[in-house]
Amino acid sequence: MNPAQFDFETIRQTTARAMTRRALFGQAASGLGGLALASLLAGDSKVNAADASSQTRGIAGLPHHVPKAKNVIYLFQNGGPSHVDLFDYKPELARNRGIQIPDSVVGQARFSTMTSGQTARPCLPEISKFARHGQSGATVSDFMPHTAKITDELCFVKSMTTTQVNHAPAITFFLTGSEMPGRPSMGSWLTYGLGSESAELPGFVVMTSRDKEASCGQIFYDFYWSAGFLPSRYQGVKFRGGGDPVLYLSNPAGISREARRAMLNDLDRLNAMTLDRVHDPEISTRISQFEMAYRMQASVPELTDFSDEPENVLAEYGPDVRRAGSFAYNCLMARRLVERGTRFVQLLHAGWDQHRNLNTQLKVQCTDTDAPSAALVRDLKRRGLLDETLVIWGGEFGRTPFLQGKIEEMKSWGRDHHPYAFTIWMAGGGVKPGISYGSSDDFGFRAVTDPVGVHDLQATILHLLGIDHTRLTYRFQGRDFRLTDVHGNVVKGLLA
Amino acid sequence: MFRIFRRPIIALAVFGMIFVASAQAADPGEISFSRDVLPILSDRCFACHGPDKANRKADLRLDDQKAAFVSGVIEPGKPGESELIARIESPEHDEVMPPPKFGKPLTSRQIDTLKAWVAGGAKWGRHWAWDVPIRPNVPTAAGAKVRNPIDAFVVARLKAEGLTPRPEATKAELIRRVSLDLTGLPPDAAEVRRFLSDDAPEAYERLVDRLLASPRYGERMAWDWLDAARYADTNGYQGDGERTMWPWRDWVVGAFNEDMPFDRFTVNQIAGDLMPEASRERILATAFNRNHMINGEGGRIAEENRVEYVFDQTETVGTMWLGLTLTCARCHDHKYDPVSRRDYYRLFAFFDTTPVNGAGGSGQTAPVLDMATPAEVEKQKKTAAAFETLLKVVVAKEAKLREAGMVVKDGKYDTKLPVIIESILRKGPNDRAAQNYEELKKYYGSAEPEYLNQLDELRKLKSARDEAASKITRVMVMGEAPQPRETFMLTRGAYDKREDKVSAGLPASFVPGKSESTDAGRRMSRRDLAEWLVSPENPLTARVTVNRLWQTFFGAGLVKTTEDFGLQGQLPSHPELLDWLAVEFREPAANSGARPWSVKHIVRTIVTSATYRQSSTAPEELWARDPENRLLARGPRHRLPSWMLRDQALAVAGMLTPTMGGPSVKPYQPPGIWEEATFGNKAYVQDHGEALYRRSLYVFWRRIVGPTVFFDTPNRQNCSVKTVITNTPLHALVTLNDTTYVEAARVLAQNLSKLPETDDEKRLAEAFRRVVVREPSGNEIEALRSALKRQRGIFAADREAAEKLSKAGEWPGVPGLDVAEHAAWTQVCLMLLNLDEALTKP
Repeated sequence: MNPAQFDFETIRQTTARAMTRRALFGQAASGLGGLALASLLAGDSKVNAADASSQTRGIAGLPHHVPKAKNVIYLFQNGGPSHVDLFDYKPELARNRGIQIPDSVVGQARFSTMTSGQTARPCLPEISKFARHGQSGATVSDFMPHTAKITDELCFVKSMTTTQVNHAPAITFFLTGSEMPGRPSMGSWLTYGLGSESAELPGFVVMTSRDKEASCGQIFYDFYWSAGFLPSRYQGVKFRGGGDPVLYLSNPAGISREARRAMLNDLDRLNAMTLDRVHDPEISTRISQFEMAYRMQASVPELTDFSDEPENVLAEYGPDVRRAGSFAYNCLMARRLVERGTRFVQLLHAGWDQHRNLNTQLKVQCTDTDAPSAALVRDLKRRGLLDETLVIWGGEFGRTPFLQGKIEEMKSWGRDHHPYAFTIWMAGGGVKPGISYGSSDDFGFRAVTDPVGVHDLQATILHLLGIDHTRLTYRFQGRDFRLTDVHGNVVKGLLA
Repeated sequence: MFRIFRRPIIALAVFGMIFVASAQAADPGEISFSRDVLPILSDRCFACHGPDKANRKADLRLDDQKAAFVSGVIEPGKPGESELIARIESPEHDEVMPPPKFGKPLTSRQIDTLKAWVAGGAKWGRHWAWDVPIRPNVPTAAGAKVRNPIDAFVVARLKAEGLTPRPEATKAELIRRVSLDLTGLPPDAAEVRRFLSDDAPEAYERLVDRLLASPRYGERMAWDWLDAARYADTNGYQGDGERTMWPWRDWVVGAFNEDMPFDRFTVNQIAGDLMPEASRERILATAFNRNHMINGEGGRIAEENRVEYVFDQTETVGTMWLGLTLTCARCHDHKYDPVSRRDYYRLFAFFDTTPVNGAGGSGQTAPVLDMATPAEVEKQKKTAAAFETLLKVVVAKEAKLREAGMVVKDGKYDTKLPVIIESILRKGPNDRAAQNYEELKKYYGSAEPEYLNQLDELRKLKSARDEAASKITRVMVMGEAPQPRETFMLTRGAYDKREDKVSAGLPASFVPGKSESTDAGRRMSRRDLAEWLVSPENPLTARVTVNRLWQTFFGAGLVKTTEDFGLQGQLPSHPELLDWLAVEFREPAANSGARPWSVKHIVRTIVTSATYRQSSTAPEELWARDPENRLLARGPRHRLPSWMLRDQALAVAGMLTPTMGGPSVKPYQPPGIWEEATFGNKAYVQDHGEALYRRSLYVFWRRIVGPTVFFDTPNRQNCSVKTVITNTPLHALVTLNDTTYVEAARVLAQNLSKLPETDDEKRLAEAFRRVVVREPSGNEIEALRSALKRQRGIFAADREAAEKLSKAGEWPGVPGLDVAEHAAWTQVCLMLLNLDEALTKP
């Protein structure tokens, strides 16, 4: 082996396994046979919990500094929400309605092939009304009445920029730091670095939803929550909207929980005999992983059982909250997950891609997401969880301040993808509440004050969780990789 | 040549910080440039003082002998006068190298190594993998532990470590291990009896020869090749349309089975179409390069897609044959390995020659090898025409319905129609999801009977069309465009940022003087590339290939970074063994009787070695000392790949369908997986009958959501050559709860009920043998008995549950079997299939 190369991961796993094995042998040596071992494992013993998975531990030396946030809930809005319709109020667009957006503003900007051939770029003002809200006076569209009520909790970033103009690469960029699939996603980095606080639930959970009309064909690629080259247990566990929330969670028809328990006791006993003979520490890991699976079979249904939620809380999330697979349901699940120690919850909601249906679809999209997002922030706050939970709401880019289509054909108005300026918001977890950070030009076209790039946002998120983004690295193919590649600066102005 | 490492690799725990103390040369005479010095220079210095000229600092490069010495920072023999040493030892923050902000300071051990190296004369060398392997002398080591040269190298190393090999595994363990490794299946009972009763000294070798001759061998070996070649049955990305590349998959199986020499295997796949006798079979082989994903997403620029495809082809070949990670060189000169951006785009140019233009998203984009029958084509045309005709009628009707709903309110467009109906109509009937049809039916109800009838008919015609189209087998293959395309270097890999024009050529530093792309004006072609890959002067192909084979059987390569043989890759654990295998692969010893490039010869050599045949049972201290078995002081023991677990379950239950090849099949999968991932556009229609029990190799692979019964498998989206073995609760849920396993347990249980022995103990022992091949111990039988007793109690009290369990899967049941008894045995069998030992290669 090469003196310059440290394979931390392997060594850490090995040590963890070796320690467990000693623990197991300790039991055997003190006269407990396989059966006692099995019942020991069946219980909630500390030995077992510590080993339940290496999922629960992070890597040595982390956090690098005192964290502000423990958990992240990322409400990812696939498709590209229209910043000029929703948050970034630009009166100049109304003054120039239907008039070509100045070339001096557009410059050499590149667009998707949907409008790259279009020479007419008439300004299109917001399709509904803006008003100022809260102490902060943030501008929010009347399409989002609930978000409007919590603006003093929110930190708007109005100067986001990205380098990507197509959905999949742009989303991949936001979630993994690279537009090419294959890098670890943010949730994987965080659970790898910090571990998870839950021994019974995955540290990184993903849930997806989409608009009811299925107007949008954007699919959810699994590389949005991939562990990339990190060990695969850091991959996001996707909770499904129908059937078992976790694949294969339910026992087969005819096998009760008791029958499974009885079988696992005997399985543990037989595996312990193999361990005694072979001494492969992986066997003890397997015993505990089977036990963890058994516990998950109980803890996940408990997680998805909303019967302990007060009616007023459920009402706040909106009527869809009981429909598994809806954005509202996923928002409530997100809160229940972070309460139970899940580190990173990634919601993906598709449908924000209004190329030709701005007038009909944007409102629908807002209705689906507005109340649940606001309810989540309020709910976290009431429970004292908002301080330690960073909530992020935003898409992979914004939408063009100019029209895609023809101004006289109102029924097919739309906006194209727009990477040069757009808005996201964050709440809790150590960000400044009640502010708007950065700004775009008078047309909402380019970020002009304090632009925030995708790597900057990622560096900031990591910072809030106590991580120096330049120091959380993993060696793959001979190179030390990190979420922010070789870029990114912590945006100090966002920190509380 | 490399010496054996002197010191053991020891894991030390110090205040929770753990590090590996590796071999450290004690005096200057022992310093090896490529083993000791180059890794330090590469990891800590090359980022700024390496091959990447754009980012080179102070005009100093340490990757090149001449440049390094000309710079004057190294005074051979005089560390005290060498600037290099002064800088790495400097206490000054702004002087010390590497700079603190680089974040990778040198350890004192590394500084000592560099000092000792300079003191010893700063002898230069090359990265080991760039030199062509030469057959090393086999160490002399005698005794029963040495069956072939592999063992001589391993034992010599173990001796230096103060270790001895483990004794040979039991015969039962051996037959299970080698059967799984060579065929992906457990041995059948007859084979076990035959082997256990064969007392001849060469019984094991004879077994290996039988396994190598089995057609199951090709199926097993194909899996790893398919993973690396990112083979799948769909295109990936949005839409994820189907493709029919399975004839290529079958070609791979056949090639392994006939032991096609690896040089021919290589040339056929990379350039079969360019060979003088380009038979259909050779053209089929080139489908290898068309296995990449295809992006049919709207809004994508065709050329951007096309360039992505060529990147993928270039990098896949780079990883699979050269063990190089070329991706970095898309944007900048490689920071560590001698691959410049120019080299990258010259390799790229080899593949930049096909007529593919990146437009459309068809999984049958020309050039294709048409393997359709005239009847299939006729049917496809007919069904497509019928669909198109009715489609026109329906589109016109829907435009009217939509128009009828439109109103203008307050100067804004609005519609009377419910939003969902308007949205569905706007999208049009061409790609309509099933649930949308239902919405339309609900809304228009009795108002539009004719229209609703047409919709029903349209759906039928569409499935008839799709069905017929999917039966047409056209395999995407390689071919040259009539007009050669010009290739340019691209700034940061952006398709539209062209720089210098380049022509196809080999990486300059691997073929000094020979890399010129034109040979008397002739353009180099993929054929030149392929032939160079398997030429005697190529230092990498043979090493990289034998290393992957080693990984197949030992769980990790001799070079652990199977994907990276470059400077940042790990050094081989047994460098001489690696080289011996590589040379033996390329030019087998005369007395071996093997042909050059015979994969079976290398496989046979590996699995008949004493090293492979060792017991994997070892004292606790050995597991602690060498958890990863890098020293090979015990036999390989790893969890089986998930695809093999499925095959094993089918085999032990006697359900496996032996059929080879053909279109992929769709076995059990929990409902809604495809539908959820594709927004209802792709419905999973499970097969029935024997298709449910085909080998995993033939399971349909949808690229955006692979078969859920598999885990720890590459996603088949990009080239992947690394074995991944993790241990998570989610995996336990698969093998405990997936219908495949529950059904296999149920069928195994009913098979046991047919045994002439009625005694529980005998039946339990037989079940145990069928799953893990060996005899159970007394304690194990006792545990099995009590498990059976407990499960009998549970199901006797709950016959309803027993009824349900005894119906798992579609395999026929056995009439007259008591359900409670059957269920109890099913539980015991499911437990057996989930034993650590069942999940693990012994």
